[in-house]
Amino acid sequence: MAVPVVVPQDLWEEDLPGIVSAWLFEDGDPVKEGDLIAELMVEKTSYDLTAPKAGRLKILVQPEVPFQRGDVVAQLE
Amino acid sequence: MNAPLNRTKRNLTIAKAMAEAIAEEMRRDPSVLVLGEDIGKLGGVFGNTRGLYEEFGAARVKDTPISETAFIGAAVGMACVGMKPVVELMFVDFFGVCMDAIYNLAAKNCYFSGGQSPVPMVLMTSVGGGYGDAGQHSQCLYGTFAHLPGLKVVVPSNAYDAKGLMLSAIRDPNPVVYMFHKALQGMGWLGTVKGAINDVPEDEYLVPIGKAAIARSGKDVTLVGLGATVHHALDAAAELAKDGVEAEVIDLRSLVPLDRETVLASVRKTGRLVVADDDYQSFGVSGEIIALASEAAFPQLKAAPRRVAFPDIPIPFSPALERPLLPDAAKIAAAARATLGKA
Repeated sequence: MAVPVVVPQDLWEEDLPGIVSAWLFEDGDPVKEGDLIAELMVEKTSYDLTAPKAGRLKILVQPEVPFQRGDVVAQLE
Repeated sequence: MNAPLNRTKRNLTIAKAMAEAIAEEMRRDPSVLVLGEDIGKLGGVFGNTRGLYEEFGAARVKDTPISETAFIGAAVGMACVGMKPVVELMFVDFFGVCMDAIYNLAAKNCYFSGGQSPVPMVLMTSVGGGYGDAGQHSQCLYGTFAHLPGLKVVVPSNAYDAKGLMLSAIRDPNPVVYMFHKALQGMGWLGTVKGAINDVPEDEYLVPIGKAAIARSGKDVTLVGLGATVHHALDAAAELAKDGVEAEVIDLRSLVPLDRETVLASVRKTGRLVVADDDYQSFGVSGEIIALASEAAFPQLKAAPRRVAFPDIPIPFSPALERPLLPDAAKIAAAARATLGKA
């Protein structure tokens, strides 16, 4: 069953959009739970996004595309 | 690259690889400390000191006032008495206010003291433009620093080299200028070149200072780049391959010492040379590499060497003006075709 990769609601404080500055795996790559899978950027501060479980990464939000906290940016299948 | 078989791939940005290298050296060696503007709580404007303040505290990870004259001078003094400071000059463009400490004190003290007082410091500094930050935040100035005896100069093009070169730089008894390109840093607002993100082992490993890398092998023309232009040269090589031209791409990695042997071996093999450098064209790296080939591989040259560099003007703020002036894959491929008589 696919598990959504959600940007945690409390990852940053203000209500600002973020972007993925870099996916650290390719679409379709297997990842382990806890792997650093992407770096996010809000204004000029970066945040880490880790895999909530093991699985095959399906990227839903491409770099530079704005999203909000709580959004789903990928799935693990 | 050299990854043990029992580990899985771990891709990192250059920013993270730099921070990891510094953290590993700080754990190993209590004399290593970090100072600079916004390198503490913020983790560095370019992300390269993230996590250090939390792990090592304010005494070893020191946010400084906005006075490069003071804190770069302080770093030189620290190094002279045996500490190993890693000091950040946020933008290389700011070197003007602290250059005396760098080129008259740090660079020369070892020589002046007959080797009794070396200066084991790392000056890490961001270089490069391409994101509309204008003429005082977009320069490379590779040639400026490489010109001055007494400083080692390194320029990583990917995360693996960024970590290994940082470990080598901190352990080096000489002042090392570590120039990291903003476009490769993995920070979204500066653009992110994908090729700069690669597999980085958790364990320590050294990338030797003074050793270039062959980023792609070929026999028809040598493309020499450093930092960001390595990636443009690789893109150019992929483009040239469609026409059956096999370009060899050399990543200089270090400017001082310069790996002349690797450059010459390639030029002697291909007989053709293009140098790509996003620093100003005149009196810089591109001229130095071409002079090297002319002096030591002249009989093997089949065509006049070419260079693709930034024109000798201040870097414009307007993206519409800046972008066309920067080296890119198309310009490098065109220069390579010219050396092959295919222009």
